[in-house]
Amino acid sequence: MSLPSALQTLANYRTHNTRASQDVLETGVEALKANAVVKMGDDAWAFLEQLTLAAIDCGRLDIADECLEELAKTFPGSTRVNVLTGIRMEASESPEIVLKFYDDQLQEDSSNAAIWKRRISVLRRTGKTEKCVEELTTYLDTFYNDLEGWVELADIYSFCNQYTFALQALSHCLLLAPQNPFYALQFAETAFTANDLPLALKMFLVVVDMCEQDLSTPTEAKESVPSGISVRAWYGVKLCCRRALGRSATSITSQSNTALPETKKLKKLDELATERVLTAYSASARGAEGKGVVMAWMGSNDY
Amino acid sequence: MSSSAVSLYLDPQIRDWVLFPITLVMILVGVLRHYVVVLLQSPPKKQPRAAVREQRALVRSQILRATSSNSPVPPSFYLSISHHLSDAYEAGTYLKDGPPKPGSDGAPAAPPNPMTDPAAMDGMMAGMKTQMVMMVPQMVIMGWINFFFQGFVLIKLPFPLTLGFKSMLQRGIETPDMDVRWVSSLSWYFLNFFGLNGLYRLLLGGDNSADSSQAMMASPFAAAGAAQPGQPQDFNKLFKAEKEHLAFAEGLYSWVGDGVEDRVLSRYGEAP
Repeated sequence: MSLPSALQTLANYRTHNTRASQDVLETGVEALKANAVVKMGDDAWAFLEQLTLAAIDCGRLDIADECLEELAKTFPGSTRVNVLTGIRMEASESPEIVLKFYDDQLQEDSSNAAIWKRRISVLRRTGKTEKCVEELTTYLDTFYNDLEGWVELADIYSFCNQYTFALQALSHCLLLAPQNPFYALQFAETAFTANDLPLALKMFLVVVDMCEQDLSTPTEAKESVPSGISVRAWYGVKLCCRRALGRSATSITSQSNTALPETKKLKKLDELATERVLTAYSASARGAEGKGVVMAWMGSNDY
Repeated sequence: MSSSAVSLYLDPQIRDWVLFPITLVMILVGVLRHYVVVLLQSPPKKQPRAAVREQRALVRSQILRATSSNSPVPPSFYLSISHHLSDAYEAGTYLKDGPPKPGSDGAPAAPPNPMTDPAAMDGMMAGMKTQMVMMVPQMVIMGWINFFFQGFVLIKLPFPLTLGFKSMLQRGIETPDMDVRWVSSLSWYFLNFFGLNGLYRLLLGGDNSADSSQAMMASPFAAAGAAQPGQPQDFNKLFKAEKEHLAFAEGLYSWVGDGVEDRVLSRYGEAP
């Protein structure tokens, strides 16, 4: 690959935030040998940062150190370089030393979000979940609109079986990205796990509703094949309906006081969900084997 | 008539030693000023965590309110967030200096004076410094032109103009009869003053600080306000107002999940 095209690929990775570390490392080292840093001008620094991260990913700490040295020389005291240094330290040093480093950084600038997030991730990695949750909530209290932070918090809570808290964290995700059906799906699945059947059913239906906005007429809708996230949502609808129909109405509890649709509607939804999931499988190229399993599951009564 | 007979001859030395030097000096001073301003600019001040939190606290309820009429969040969660926020606004949890003292309630706290807040003062000083760099060279150049080239006629415009332009083009020459096409030295200075922005943009890039005509319009206090947005705001008052908005949004609230089963069923033509 020629140098300009290699640099173009790397720039593409940067703009799309692609983490193709092995590829970046190979191309990057070539470019580094060809002395591209001098030719790139101001792009060089972003490239060096990218190469450092890729090198750490692939365990080539020598290359990472080389790039980092270059960056530290050009930008002494830059927070961005400090974050990189921290990541580099995480690769080889013990967590205590890294935490100490991050603490020092935070002492200097208490509103440095990037360093703070790294610190939280180290805390989680080393198993200090309690401290990690505490830090993360303080962080999110300051930087409310950090979507990733809320997803992470929800993940930690789910991990600890604290589904109510996880749902609360996810509701902030829904507020921050109401257009993203994946968060709604995660919310629905968490509600299902938390045994809040009516809420889960509603949220699965919301996901379906979001994903199939473009189907206008009933015939068009019937002929369409669910794909991607909506298959999973239909599965969820099916699961919820079957559970709800299989139990007496009094035994279904909802922490969030969500009302279950009437039995008549539930039956219709159950039929529709069955039909939709089967359509998804019969149209796909995954073969008859998958379809057979799904058919058997649909017919069975155990859940 | 004056139009047929050329009434005035300009010494070419005026062109070489007055017209070009004035233009050149103005361009060079503009470029110099750009670099001085770049040097004078202090890096943005790092704010402590509490200040960032205070500034961003309003965004939380704005995000909540933005979708409240068709909210993705189920009622119980919405209400808990909404109540939590309005309680926090009422109690002043998000204020930088902590909740206000219980003893001082009743008497509303005076809005923070920008003169007493050192952080705001810094921002204002930075604005003043930039302003000084803008003003001083302009005054010097104007004095220089007035002192040495008072009453000089520099060029003749190649097109006729109406008498209305006389005050614009012949400043410093009090003759009622001279053709408007002749431009005086002081007017040439003003034409350059307002007209060189395009050249600076070419030389120094889009957001240069060489153009002085824009700086003339902004007062140093406005510059300070723009440099540190929201610094002198009374957040306590803003929070109290936001509480009202929250209560209002709560009245408008409806969950997107309400009746979603009907919507999905009717899309597939199975509406009961």
